[in-house]
Parts: sequence; structure tokens; C-alpha cells
Amino acid sequence: MAKYYDVIIIGAGPAGSMAALTLARTGLNVCLVERGKYPGAKNMFGGLLHNAPVLTDAFPSFWEKAPVERHVYRKVLAFMTPESAISLSFDNENFEQPPYNGYTVFRPVFDNWLAQEAVKEGAMLLCDCTAEDVIRKDERIAGVTVKGREGELRGNIVIAADGVLSFMAKKAGLRQELRSADMGVGIKLLLGLPEEVINERFHLVRDEGADFSFVGTTEGIRGGSFLYTNRESVSVGMVVHLESLTASGRTPYDVLDELLEHPQVKKLVKGGVPLEYSAHLIPEGGLKAVPQLYTGGMMVAGDAAGLCYTNGINLEGINLAMTSGVLAAETAIVAIEAGDYSAKTLSLYRKKLDDSFVMKDMKTFRNAVGMMHMDRLFGTYPQVLAGIMETMYRVDGKPRSKLLRLARKEVLQKMGLMDLVSDGIKIGRSLL
Amino acid sequence: MNVDDIQQLTQFEIDEQPHIIVDREKCRTCDHRACVQACPANCYTWDEATELLSVVYENCLECGTCYVLCDKGALDWSYPRGGYGVCYRLT
Repeated sequence: MAKYYDVIIIGAGPAGSMAALTLARTGLNVCLVERGKYPGAKNMFGGLLHNAPVLTDAFPSFWEKAPVERHVYRKVLAFMTPESAISLSFDNENFEQPPYNGYTVFRPVFDNWLAQEAVKEGAMLLCDCTAEDVIRKDERIAGVTVKGREGELRGNIVIAADGVLSFMAKKAGLRQELRSADMGVGIKLLLGLPEEVINERFHLVRDEGADFSFVGTTEGIRGGSFLYTNRESVSVGMVVHLESLTASGRTPYDVLDELLEHPQVKKLVKGGVPLEYSAHLIPEGGLKAVPQLYTGGMMVAGDAAGLCYTNGINLEGINLAMTSGVLAAETAIVAIEAGDYSAKTLSLYRKKLDDSFVMKDMKTFRNAVGMMHMDRLFGTYPQVLAGIMETMYRVDGKPRSKLLRLARKEVLQKMGLMDLVSDGIKIGRSLL
Repeated sequence: MNVDDIQQLTQFEIDEQPHIIVDREKCRTCDHRACVQACPANCYTWDEATELLSVVYENCLECGTCYVLCDKGALDWSYPRGGYGVCYRLT
């Protein structure tokens, strides 16, 4: 294993494999290091692979080649109370045209496919290898050691795409200790259902898929739940803020259990055969939790770089990861041509990220982190909304009030008007 | 749904060498034991009688929740050796 590489990439996830593919296509000598038995063996997510220009640039007609389950046709945002669901469902024929807006995929399948595409272009893939530490030489990172094995991997540049816990960024001194306030934990249960049942139950045809986001199903814990349709299964799970989960005293699987028992969700997953259970952390700290992104000989990409955000409506990470992987690779190409692997040269990576939608979106929604920490969003507001809806529709021979009066009564019953104003400001700062 | 039952669905390549080592003395001084509550795989158990924390590293999903939550420095937590540990097929 004492070979020398132009670039060593730690982690064959979406960021790492896109970096490897980009570098291998220019003829560079790339080593992609993966700790799983195969790429994707350690990876999970809710279920939605967002469209990304880097993906369609690398693979024109990507959706015909890649192992995707369904493309997303319907987006549903639902506010839930224990009894009710208020849904905003968006069905869009424009999401029916390729390139599609998003796809449900299985990570062990998709990540493996993407890594193998990099291999076809000449990248060297080393599975079963857990990177343990960085090797320093002349004040810069010059390789990694591999756990439990003699020997090391050396190269001009290391790209750390080793996921949310990024031990490589930590060893290189690029990130601080991770804080539970900046983390979400995602858990998911995959439930098998026949294709015809899914199509009928969710009103889908052919490859159409549905994406449900639920707010109010986490027992007041900051977070949300999801349901995605795959071809012959549905992915049901939730993401909860780690600090808030701890404060609640609840176990994550008990909260998931409640979701599966929710009357409206229960109907959607009825008859589902449990196939696999999985869990993963998600960097939720937003812009302020992004670590230092480069140093001499090293760049950090994907979840390792904290490139992930939610504003309550968009939940993006995988598209940011793939884009950051390509931008790190482009920077590495420039550095290798110049024969200069210093931090100064690699700072081009930060500039490229800043100029792309990746950092622009992270900046646009930098205040959304505060909004997502607004506890009333996950219990009180769904209850207020449901209260208004129920009174509005209920026919019981009592005289009706106009809408504003009705809403005022609900708000005063369940919270205060001042709370509404202060939350309104937070929401405004985040989204408007 | 029982977490121990659904955990059976997930595949593991078990390493004889544990990748999580707990310092039980430090755990005794812990006032929250957030690892026990928050671990999605129910790997940690606190025995009130003996005041000992035990971990079943074999069921670990490698999410890192405990690693982030432990503020007593009681966990020696690393990824398993290459090829070992959780091995997702379809998630």
C-alpha cells in the first residue's frame, strides 16, 4: 500500500465519489478509500437524492443510467396533531419532465454505483479501509494511515469526505468538538409494500414518487418526520435535534413508534413489512458550524464540511455534498498543475464554494437554524392550525365566528399573542 | 415496533475487537446518561444495582450519537476496522 497518489479521497459517499470521478476523468491518479465492505454500506439518509447540475453534467440522462427508485412528483407538507393532519400537497407536471427534481434512492445501491463509475474512469477504490490518522510532512497533510493495517497511503492532496463525524478534519485540526446543539439524529425504517399497492395508495403511476414531510409528529421535540416512496417500499423516519431529544427524555425509537401509530400515517404504511432499520447523524448547525474547509494538502467536503441545511421547507445536503466534491476536485487539478499544495492555493476551494449555490444557500438560510429551534413549531402551531380547521369545518348547530376571531381565540388558548409576534419575526428573518 | 426486533433486520459484520470502550468509573459520575436514552440502537444499559454502564457494541449503527453526547470523556469511540460493523443493504 505504499504507492503515491495525486489525490487520496477519504469516504466513497456522494462527495468523495464525485470528486474521484472528476479527478479520474482528467487522468489523475486517485485513490478512493472506503471503510465499508462496499460504498454505501455505512450510509443512510431519509431517501431523497436532489437534482444537482454536477450530476447531470457528469452523467447526461443520469436518470436512465443510475439505480434510482422513483422521481418525486408530489411534495406534501403536513402539520400533524395526534388526531389530525393538515396537508399542503403540491402535484406538479413540471416535475414530470427530465431532468427530474429529485429521486428516491437506496444509498448502499446508489453510492456503490457512483463509486463504480469513478472506478470505470480509472480511480482506485479501496474498500474495507478505515482511515485512522493524517500524515504530516513539511507542514502539510501528505496522506493517511489506515486502521488495523501496516502501511499508509501517501499523496499530494487529501480530500476528507468522511462524513458528519469527520475524524480526518478533526485530526487535521480543522474542526472543533462536535456539539449536540449542532446535530440532528435521523432514524428510519424501510417497509416493503408491493408496487401496485404503493401506486394505488399514493395515487402514483409509472416511476412517480411522493415525498411527505410531517411537522408535529415528534412529541414536541425539535424535528420532523418523513415518508418517501420507493418502487417496492416506503422509507419512514424522522430527524430530531439531538439536544432537544436529550431534554425530552424519550428514546428515538419510541418517538418513531408513535409516528407509525399515528392514525393518518398508519393508513399509509399499512401492511408494510419491515426490511431494514438505520440511523445517522446530520450536521444541522448551519453556516456557523462549518469547519475550516482547507489547510495545506487537505480539503473537506460534504457532511464532513457541515454542508447541509434545512429551512423547514427544503432539506438539502446530498446535492451540496456532490457539488462540494466536484469543486474540491477542480481545486486539486489547479494545485497539481501548479505543483503547489499549500493552504494558499487550496483557498480557491473556499472561493469556488462561495461562488456556488452551496455557500449562497447556506448564507441565505443562516437564520433558519434559529427558527428550527423554535419549540412551538413542533407542537403548539400544528395544534393551533388544527383547532382553527376543526372549528371551521365542524357542523354542530353553534353560531359561527369569522376566521380572524376564530384564529385569535385559538392562539390565545394555546399560546400568547406576543409569542406569535416574536415567532413571526423569527420566521420572517429565516424565510422572507 | 420493538427496537430489538427491528434491529435484527440490519446486517452486521461483527468484529471481535470492540470499537467502543467505556470508562465505567467516569460513567458512575455522570448525571444524565444521555447515551442510554438517545442511542437509536439501544446499545447502552445502566444497571442501577451495580452502578455499571454496559455497551453492546455489536448492535452499533455507527451514527455517533453517544460520541457527541458524552461530555464526561468516558467513551473511547472510533469507527470499526475496515469491513466490520454495520452493513446496510437498502437504506
